[in-house]
Amino acid sequence: MSSQGSRASNKITDDELSALILNLQTLLPQPNRCRNGRESATQVLSETCSYIRKLQAEIDDLSERLSQCLGSMDMTSLDAEILRNLLRQ
Amino acid sequence: MASLIPNLEHSPDTSPEFKRKKRRKTDETPGPFDRNQGSQRIKRWRTEREQQIYSSKLIEALRRSRRTSSSAPAKEVRETADRVLAVSAKGTTRWSRAILASRLGVGSKTMRKHKRAKVTANRRLRKPEINGEKRKLPAVERKLKVLGRLVPGCRKVSFSNLLEETSDYIAALEMQVRAMTTITALLAGGGTQPPTDRLGSHINS
Repeated sequence: MSSQGSRASNKITDDELSALILNLQTLLPQPNRCRNGRESATQVLSETCSYIRKLQAEIDDLSERLSQCLGSMDMTSLDAEILRNLLRQ
Repeated sequence: MASLIPNLEHSPDTSPEFKRKKRRKTDETPGPFDRNQGSQRIKRWRTEREQQIYSSKLIEALRRSRRTSSSAPAKEVRETADRVLAVSAKGTTRWSRAILASRLGVGSKTMRKHKRAKVTANRRLRKPEINGEKRKLPAVERKLKVLGRLVPGCRKVSFSNLLEETSDYIAALEMQVRAMTTITALLAGGGTQPPTDRLGSHINS
């Protein structure tokens, strides 16, 4: 089934390709983009890759900080934080 | 399991959250009922409610895992966060299933076997099909391969599937960053660090 899927994807048209790439471009955090289509597909893909890497690095950093926070607190204050979290909702 | 994926994505029996949060925009382009579904999913990642649900689940999971705390707590936190994120996806996306499957240590072996067979088959197919664009395609292909390696479980999916998974994955990662930032700020005492709003601002603008 997957081989048929990949064979069918080879016949993707250029229009579909550019439409999908444009769709992806809207997700990237760029301030301009007043006129899409400025960047080629490879550039958009490169930016996407680097953006994902950047997000994953941020998550790594955040988990490092979070683990430090958790390490420095005991269970009761953690429960207090949970309650506080729930109350804020 | 792969054959169940299109059924899950096309069936209208999604949870009530989808029905409540969905907004019918005008991009009812031909064919992509799944794209409509996909954009609904992506909007879901950006709602406040989803972030709060994720935060609660994450805190609970962290609390549970702390009791059996092993070495390298940061990595454990990261894995817990990823696991809870994958659970929040409710099994609709490939990357979430890949994350959950890799926890059990099942997926990697079988996927590697398939990968070896598929790569050579694709190369043989593509050469006679495409004549003049030899130089253009490999660059895009290379980038696609890199992207496929970054998104978990997407090394051998089709191009459009990969882009859809990427969109969902990026939205989910952004939510994960927002949620973890908020939690860290909460645990660090509340007032000292307000949650950064970089990601939120570009989404709303």
